[in-house]
Amino acid sequence: MIEAINEQLLRAIGVGVALLDRNTLGFRFQNDTFRDWFADKAEAASLDEVFEELDTAALGAALSETGRYTAEIQHRKKRRRMVIAADFTAATDAGQELVVLVCQNITRIRELESMIDSYSMMVERNTRELKREKEQVERLLLNIMPRSAYEEFKSFGVVTPQLYDPVSVLMLDFVGFTEMVASADPSVTVTELNDIYSAFDRIGEQFGCERIKTIGDAYITVAGLPDPMPDHANAIANAAIRFVRYLERRNQSHPHQWRCRIGLASGAVVGSVVGIQKYVYDIFGPAVNLATRLQEFSEPMQISVQDEVAKILRDRFEIESLGEKQIRGFADQPVWRLYDSKKDIAPVRAG
Amino acid sequence: MSKQSLFDKYGGFSQVSRVVLSFYDTLLDSDEIGPFFDNVDMTKMVDHQTKFIASLLGGPASYTPRQLEQLHSHLAITDAHFDELKVVLRDTLGEFGFEPGDIDAVLQEFENRRNLIVGAPND
Repeated sequence: MIEAINEQLLRAIGVGVALLDRNTLGFRFQNDTFRDWFADKAEAASLDEVFEELDTAALGAALSETGRYTAEIQHRKKRRRMVIAADFTAATDAGQELVVLVCQNITRIRELESMIDSYSMMVERNTRELKREKEQVERLLLNIMPRSAYEEFKSFGVVTPQLYDPVSVLMLDFVGFTEMVASADPSVTVTELNDIYSAFDRIGEQFGCERIKTIGDAYITVAGLPDPMPDHANAIANAAIRFVRYLERRNQSHPHQWRCRIGLASGAVVGSVVGIQKYVYDIFGPAVNLATRLQEFSEPMQISVQDEVAKILRDRFEIESLGEKQIRGFADQPVWRLYDSKKDIAPVRAG
Repeated sequence: MSKQSLFDKYGGFSQVSRVVLSFYDTLLDSDEIGPFFDNVDMTKMVDHQTKFIASLLGGPASYTPRQLEQLHSHLAITDAHFDELKVVLRDTLGEFGFEPGDIDAVLQEFENRRNLIVGAPND
């Protein structure tokens, strides 16, 4: 009775079980599951006909040594590749040497592993792409605002307007730009403008200047923002002189002549991100307006300087008085011209 | 906020993986479509089905139209094959409790790719 139940169980469980003759590896018994898995090889009399990949020499050696052997075997059932974990154990029964073979179907596990691999690769690729995208956005944002403002924007979603005092502002404008755009190929003009602005950015960076914005042919950069700089006036003067030098050198080898006017002014400015959807970092304050007005006093390729800036610059730079000037929106005040001491010879100064 | 994808709506990868395996089983057993996979390695087949289902549901995968075309260009897939696969897909999604409207949306996504997949082999 018990034996009958045992045999029933053995036939029905989801594990493939077979009994083999140890010497010939011929089948003595196969349960239903085993028979079902290897239905296409039902006629096979011995193990190596069913498990073609099995290393029978290794099996024999392992059984002699430890009495056990395990192997993973692939088997095609219809068009599905089955993966079977086979476990061999040596046994004896009434003097006969036998091998008990227990087979687990681990196909599903292998399929799941493949799926997880596939999925995690997709996710990793997406993560990499997201990271790249984020870096691109960050680079773009860093182009339009100082890093400190960007960090604040990233953490809090807003940038609190901040007072920077004192700073020096450089305002540069090109002479005859409108005519140049009208007469030359506009795309060429814009490409050249882009080159020049990029060069200005690099020069400014050397002196610790932060480019704030460009509006068409106007370029605004500031020294002393976002980090205070005791030397802001000298820094902005150095940048201004090198902007002019750069343009002069460039003009020698290019058909288009780019000539600028520059104004320099010091004072307090407020820096902030403006706008909600289309935000832009900008600065506001009298120093910005004054630099713009002073620029208008410049002859092409010359630099006009506010009185307070001139007082600082005169220790290290050559400057010349342009006299007292009327400036729209400001009190009358002296205006100065800054010379590149390496090149210009300033006219004999009065006084 | 962007609309939730079906991939997320139906429980993300942990649920979608079941859909993929069921779909995979049905395909292998199908006498119309199964033969296309006779000589395809299991790993590749699972990879393909995972990406296929995930991308149809708006999950983290997308074959570009060009990739889809390349993957199928060497196979003689007919409209009848394609229609059969649609039936299998509809049944599988239904089995896993997808709402009819969502099933239609997925099938429409699939239908949009028909002419990338169906075609004479060009070799």
